[in-house]
Amino acid sequence: MSEPLVLGIETSCDETAIGIVRGRKLLANEIASSVEEHARFGGVVPEIASRAHLEAILPSIERAVKEAKISLRDLDAIAVTAGPGLVGALLVGTASASGLAHGLGLPLYGVNHLAAHVSVDYLTHDLPTDPTIALLVSGGHSSLLQVDDITGSITKLGATIDDAAGEAFDKIARILDLGFPGGPAIDREARNGNPIAIDFPRGLTTSNDWATRPYDFSFSGLKTAVARYIEQRPTHLRADVAASFQEAVVDVLLLKAIAACRSSGIDSLVIAGGVAANSRLREVATERCAKAGIQLRIPTPGLCTDNGAMVAALGSLMVSAGRPATQGAFDADSSLPVERVSLI
Amino acid sequence: MTISLAIDTSTARTIVGLVDNGKVLFESFTEGATDHGRAVSELVAQALDGNPQPEQVVVGMGPGPFTGLRVGIAFARTFALARQIPVIGICSLDAIEIDQDSYTVAIDARRKEIYWAKYAGGVRIAGPAVNKPDEVTDFIIDRYPSVLKLNELSQSQNESEPFYLRRPDAVPTAERR
Repeated sequence: MSEPLVLGIETSCDETAIGIVRGRKLLANEIASSVEEHARFGGVVPEIASRAHLEAILPSIERAVKEAKISLRDLDAIAVTAGPGLVGALLVGTASASGLAHGLGLPLYGVNHLAAHVSVDYLTHDLPTDPTIALLVSGGHSSLLQVDDITGSITKLGATIDDAAGEAFDKIARILDLGFPGGPAIDREARNGNPIAIDFPRGLTTSNDWATRPYDFSFSGLKTAVARYIEQRPTHLRADVAASFQEAVVDVLLLKAIAACRSSGIDSLVIAGGVAANSRLREVATERCAKAGIQLRIPTPGLCTDNGAMVAALGSLMVSAGRPATQGAFDADSSLPVERVSLI
Repeated sequence: MTISLAIDTSTARTIVGLVDNGKVLFESFTEGATDHGRAVSELVAQALDGNPQPEQVVVGMGPGPFTGLRVGIAFARTFALARQIPVIGICSLDAIEIDQDSYTVAIDARRKEIYWAKYAGGVRIAGPAVNKPDEVTDFIIDRYPSVLKLNELSQSQNESEPFYLRRPDAVPTAERR
């Protein structure tokens, strides 16, 4: 087969996203977000997200097909996020993908959301990426992964033991009255602040932690420290708090990611997920990786947050690698482990 | 009349049928309140196997438990898009066949409530609505939409939005403080 033409569907959280790729070429990346509907609730409300997915999915598919200048009949395969994520939200995606696959008589790949985030890197250059270490940071996930084969062999080195990094951004933004979603809000506020003004704690970085759980993260202690700081200093400078909080998150993420590269001997790091759009994380990662001789790859901000292109990219890699499609019917799995790159 | 693929996931059952001009070519269901995703795919594959291809999709739009309901609607819409055939939405309660002239029909809405609608002379005269069972008189429960009735109603009805009848559970941040 020539370069496979794959349509990818992503509905694991609050973005209804459709991507179309031909091999490594991105042809369309349509995203309808319900984020504004969640803002007044301070976080994603699963039922609101699921209703929005059902409303948005058909028009999004139609827009993507038009944007890609293809016909649905030209497709070689359908890929869909099967998990992890919000189960009601995932099910709209898997049912839609299944309807398309049955209607068109095409193979269907149920793929892992986290693996898809890493695989989107493949759309931005011609280099092989695996093996690589991947730091996946978003509102729902914070994981360090060793990717030996993006289509079949991923090992979880560590993950957050409490809040996800993006969740910490949301919570601190709420405390600082910066609104939802917190990531971009704190990023903006921090530009006017001093990142070393306040020495907030770096979670799980004691010598005992480095010995027993070097690649796990914890952000709940940081959150408490920030809340206490603000309470005790009514005249605090908000920009300094935002910048110092952001610095603590960025510092600990990169300390652990670079340590994982060193100990595995893999000199490549992919950073993906919504938090990878953070400008300070990108800046510090560039500096530190250059110093450490690690090849750093961070997708463009639009491909860091949840999108359909990443699902299509992983589907396309699956087809090219000769991996089997998901056999028969399947259900979404809200806690799909990253080791299961696809459902077979 | 045309060949219809009928799908309903408004109850704990996933119901799929293929109907040609009032004749059932295929009809089956799977029991399981959390199995709609897997079941609709399996049953549609069976329905299409060796049978003439559907010319339209008819789908139950609820009311019914949201997560399962959306599975049937999402599948029906994308299948129809792929085949470039119409998809027609039906109030699922209308598709429950009751051999009476006037009646009220209900399904479990969870949280100790029911989704119900009232009919007289074959016409819905009240509902669909969601209430506590003691607020609705003489209702027939534990019956399911029929694929024949879904198909029949496709000539006179086309609901484009699901019947949710309840708002999402969520409290704005401002009210939590």
